[in-house]
Amino acid sequence: MAIGPIPVGNAGPLLDVRNLVKHFPGRRRGLFGAPSAIRAVDDVGFTLSRGETLGVVGESGSGKTTLARTLLRLHPATSGQAFFDGEDILTADPAALKRLRRRMQVVFQDPYLAFNPRFTIGETIAEAWRIHFDALPRSQWAKRIGELLEQVGLRADYAGRHPHEFSGGQRQRVGIARALALEPDLVICDEPVSALDVSVQAQVVNLLVDIQKMRKLSLIFVAHDLAVVRHISTRVAVMYLGKIVEIGPTDAVFERANHPYTQALLSAVPVPDPRGREQRRRIVLQGDPPNPASPPSGCRFRTRCWKAQDICAREEPALLDRRGTGTLSRCLFPEAGPTTRLPHGQLTRGQE
Amino acid sequence: MTKPSVLEIDNLQVSFRTSGGRVAALNGVSFAVGQNEVLAVLGESGSGKSVTAASVMGLIAQPPGSIDGGQIRFGGVNLLALDADDHRRMCGKRVSLIFQDALSALNPVYPVGWQIAEVFAIHGMADRASAVRHAVELMEAVGIPAAAERAGQYPHQFSGGMCQRIMIAMAIALKPELIIADEPTTALDVTIQAQIVELLKETHAQSGASIMLITHDLGLVAEMADRVVVMYAGRVVEDSDVYRFFAEPLHPYAMGLLASQPRIDRGAGALQPIPGAPPNPLALPSGCAFRPPCPRATLRCAEQTPALRKLASGRAVACHFADEQAL
Repeated sequence: MAIGPIPVGNAGPLLDVRNLVKHFPGRRRGLFGAPSAIRAVDDVGFTLSRGETLGVVGESGSGKTTLARTLLRLHPATSGQAFFDGEDILTADPAALKRLRRRMQVVFQDPYLAFNPRFTIGETIAEAWRIHFDALPRSQWAKRIGELLEQVGLRADYAGRHPHEFSGGQRQRVGIARALALEPDLVICDEPVSALDVSVQAQVVNLLVDIQKMRKLSLIFVAHDLAVVRHISTRVAVMYLGKIVEIGPTDAVFERANHPYTQALLSAVPVPDPRGREQRRRIVLQGDPPNPASPPSGCRFRTRCWKAQDICAREEPALLDRRGTGTLSRCLFPEAGPTTRLPHGQLTRGQE
Repeated sequence: MTKPSVLEIDNLQVSFRTSGGRVAALNGVSFAVGQNEVLAVLGESGSGKSVTAASVMGLIAQPPGSIDGGQIRFGGVNLLALDADDHRRMCGKRVSLIFQDALSALNPVYPVGWQIAEVFAIHGMADRASAVRHAVELMEAVGIPAAAERAGQYPHQFSGGMCQRIMIAMAIALKPELIIADEPTTALDVTIQAQIVELLKETHAQSGASIMLITHDLGLVAEMADRVVVMYAGRVVEDSDVYRFFAEPLHPYAMGLLASQPRIDRGAGALQPIPGAPPNPLALPSGCAFRPPCPRATLRCAEQTPALRKLASGRAVACHFADEQAL
């Protein structure tokens, strides 16, 4: 388990997350009982290469937003490691954390809440340089703000305006400009387009793809909209109740999903094409996801799974490539493949 | 549209008073819902789709809203000519409504079974005991497990999907002729969405009620609708059967909408967004509201607002140039 940090340099992945756990205190059991833990993120591991976009999908309560916020250390992790270019984000001291955060930025979901309404958007963008005072000399701020705004498709002279003067899509562009101000290596986008209408959403998605390619950014794209994730990601992680249940290259996950939850999730998305809709086969899961404060034993998906057997309640499946398709999944009986079980417990990291 | 209509909306005009001035929410909306039809009203924020539904139900608060013209005919009566009481008597039994956010649409301080039974009580359809029995039956019908016990529970004890099921139970309680579903699946997770879509389809198949499905989700339209009415800036810009709509949208806005939609069954490839910002209802351009981002716009579009024209195929479109390339 205790593997040392990966050597610094361009060889290793930019981000290497191992056994990440984040529990929130839940409701107390009785007056003197210990509070139960809500296991929002439970033993999550993956790597992210430079210039790669990892889509993180899951339904509400799956832990995808908690994962993003824990990686940014917006709240402390319960345990685990997250190496950013060889340095552990989760244990970095304040000075090191400040250094790290300069290289990892975030775009939030709600373009109406993510800005200080009293700041002009120029001030909002410059805030980053105010905090990281050696990033850019003050004399260049105005010019750079203009450049950043133009890069995200806004006019340079918008810098003096306030957030309320912009539409949702425009504000999300400002959010992206702000995230780029420090020229980060990694941008974590938490549902960046889910508050936007389809026609505007496409503009912002295209902008993110262009900027990602141009700057060779690494992106973590957290979203519940599977179509958007398919469009933007090179790899996809599917989360269910705090665990990654499947992770792999985008096309492999979308076309040859191993895990029954992934299959159900994909088949539940309505396709904007009515042809053949009467014949379309769809897996409709029964019931709601269980309470993350008391997840089922063994496989967390077994209570809604049509393949579940006794062993699924006893044994938690490890994240493995059981079918040799290049995607890792937490299912003992992945679709169509041989159901040979591999020894349990040895795999500690969820990456290729 | 060979089927007789349940609901006919004709040249409906609604506006709201705001601090920025009078905003026209609907600028002459006309369409009809056929018997046993699932009609989708498709549009983005501010297009007027929810205001249309609220007008049918008599839920436009006046002021700040005002209904400036047009007719809504249901069962041979113009609903807009009725006072609130008559409107309620007319619509209460025969039209029902499913809201987007079921948890806030339900009353938090009454058990859900009571709330369903209330529907029968208000419409004088049952005594207390049989109302409660009906309520439990309805809860079973919409797939709520252990319905008899759960009828005594409160809305906060149900998940979002279950609350939406209860809303649907209330909506079908009186066997209405028309169900208006305003973004019924938008607030739900995708696997729960699939459950509710299945339930709505079953409900439609069993009850034969017409459904007016208000949504921004092209996927949901393709999944459920027989016909689609596309709204933009308070007008209907296209009215088409669903198969031909997805195969060959006629209005440039509808084309733009389909091209900007990422699809789960396709890989990468740039999306084609509609350029520019959505229309500002306080300052709509002259003529066609879609003129600024429209690739086909000419001087004529600024001078003359295109009317919704019926084409030979039975579809209708509000664009001067739409039939040139289609058909």
